[in-house]
Amino acid sequence: MNVISRGIRNAFRNTIRTASIVTILGLSIGLSLAMLVAHQAVGDKITSVKASVGNTVSISPAGARGFEGGGNALTAAQLSKVKSLDHVTSVTESLSDRLTTDNTNLQSAVDAGSLGRRFAQNDGGLRIAAPADGSQPGTITTFTPPVTVNGTTNPTDLSSGFGGGGTFTLKSGKVFNGTSSDNVALVGTTLASKNNLKVGSTFTAYGQTITVAGIFDAGNTFSNNQVIMPLATAQTLSAQPGAITSATVKVDSISNVASVTSAAEKQLGSAADVTNAAEEAQNTIKPLENIQTISLYSLIGAIGAGAIIILLTMVMIVRERRREIGVIKAIGASNVKVVGQFSVEAVTLTVLGAFIGIMLGVAAANPITNLLVTNSSNSVQGGRMMAAPGRGFGGGFGRSLSNIHAAVGWDIILYGLGAAIVIAIIGSALASFFIAKIRPAEVMRVE
Amino acid sequence: MLEVKDLKKSFQSGDTTVKAVDGISFSVPDGQFASIIGKSGSGKSTLLSLLGALDAPTGGSITVGDQDITKMHDRALIKYRCHTIGFVFQGYNLVPNLSALENVILPMEFAGLPKSQRRDRAVKLLEQVGFEPDQMLRKPGKLSGGQQQRVAIARALANKPQLILADEPTGNLDSQTGKMIFDLLHGLAKSENTTIITVTHDLSIAGKTDITFKLQDGKLQKGKK
Repeated sequence: MNVISRGIRNAFRNTIRTASIVTILGLSIGLSLAMLVAHQAVGDKITSVKASVGNTVSISPAGARGFEGGGNALTAAQLSKVKSLDHVTSVTESLSDRLTTDNTNLQSAVDAGSLGRRFAQNDGGLRIAAPADGSQPGTITTFTPPVTVNGTTNPTDLSSGFGGGGTFTLKSGKVFNGTSSDNVALVGTTLASKNNLKVGSTFTAYGQTITVAGIFDAGNTFSNNQVIMPLATAQTLSAQPGAITSATVKVDSISNVASVTSAAEKQLGSAADVTNAAEEAQNTIKPLENIQTISLYSLIGAIGAGAIIILLTMVMIVRERRREIGVIKAIGASNVKVVGQFSVEAVTLTVLGAFIGIMLGVAAANPITNLLVTNSSNSVQGGRMMAAPGRGFGGGFGRSLSNIHAAVGWDIILYGLGAAIVIAIIGSALASFFIAKIRPAEVMRVE
Repeated sequence: MLEVKDLKKSFQSGDTTVKAVDGISFSVPDGQFASIIGKSGSGKSTLLSLLGALDAPTGGSITVGDQDITKMHDRALIKYRCHTIGFVFQGYNLVPNLSALENVILPMEFAGLPKSQRRDRAVKLLEQVGFEPDQMLRKPGKLSGGQQQRVAIARALANKPQLILADEPTGNLDSQTGKMIFDLLHGLAKSENTTIITVTHDLSIAGKTDITFKLQDGKLQKGKK
């Protein structure tokens, strides 16, 4: 028997009280762990959102929007001014064009469907005469969506002005050099499949033979119906020398995106539309930051509540055992030994609470995080719909917000145990003060 | 030898200063059994707590052997309480969640006695006060008043103290058990050559001790041998 064993035994002197304290502490520690996990998971998400979308500036010819709108293509000379701006780390230039049955032997892998026919019908050049069978005049029945060709200096960056976006994954072959002018191309998986293309196969475009250097998967049907070529090749073959229809500027930090956007606007004047995703990303991140703040305050509150619970418990226990402490001191115990015994008792209670808390935290962390994020995402998406109906951009972010996985690792469990020890120390501190103040003469007090 | 000189202890009660012990001087030779008698509030228990270094005097000196305990700092006082003094209280004051055996072991742990020796000595002491082995493992709540007081006596003797201070050790016991406890204390004092000072209301017990001191209003009225 020693200070430790007595402390542990004392923790179980009153079973009902011990069970109550341990349960309450467990809830407190469990909540603090869940909040810590939520805080970390949301923090990671914020970092990834900032890293993925936050530090780019998009430049397109004024008035252009894909193959809609109009305007004049940008030139390399214009973009070289942007490349020289401070905080610009890279500029990806691209030229988009369309391959139709007139200038390629490729067959589109995308079926026109009702949407394709609708858009084609609005295209003045494709309207057809009313058929003799008496069906609706002007209805296009044989329209085939074109194959999009993209010339680029960075073939693996699908976000750089290409329609459809997605994540570039090379399935076979190799990626060409972005500065090359060879007649080579990367072909999307569905387009390759539709046209029986493999690495080394050839197809014709603009009257030239193009060799398939690689096959990629972009993760979506539209992008997988694309051909990606070196920018110089696309410019030459499409007879648009030096033309650039979009550019993506990467900035060294999200905090410099606004200044680079302004500087680029100044350099390009009315010739280009310069936009960035930072503001949109910031709006998206804001609710996450709110969740982070809420989870941080909840974490502090839960640890504080735990500390107060154990503190009050220990003060109550010390007051209750005042006479016993006097006896122990009277028979030769030092303050250190008595305080040690009560500290062990506090640690025992909190460690038991921590075990329950860790189990609760592990079980509740993910649901709580998802609940917080879902509620937040819903309010954000609701707000966006009110603010900018019809824009799909926010929806993508909203989906990514919901995709947060709160993982409870060993570091979190160690945090939990650490929190328990901190709670026990805080809880024991005031009790220790009271213990030190109890005189051994207390034992002579007649009750 | 216990020697008390001009010992004083006063308390502040509102605007009034209460002199609980007012300039007491006396001495008790080693191995003697002394009793302190007096009415309630006469200062008996205060005197006992001063002798046991549970409280600090306002003035005077207490010398046990060659040590003046009124000049000791905290660490030395803890050592003094641990090694030199054994306490027996009217209300037994055993630790409720420890067994009789563990209660006796407790002061030995505080004194730093090797673990291997603690249990053997505790068993021997409990046997001396008439405990059976199965009773030793019972907690105080399962023991009678007389049994608890015997555990308290064994605990007081645990570290072979020079001085045992007993605060009305028979006060909560019936007369027969009280007599048995007194005889036990007396016998142990003789066999262990331990000085015992007991506070009592019971004049018949006081009459059997070697020395009796009578306290009245914090002052020593007389001492007899």
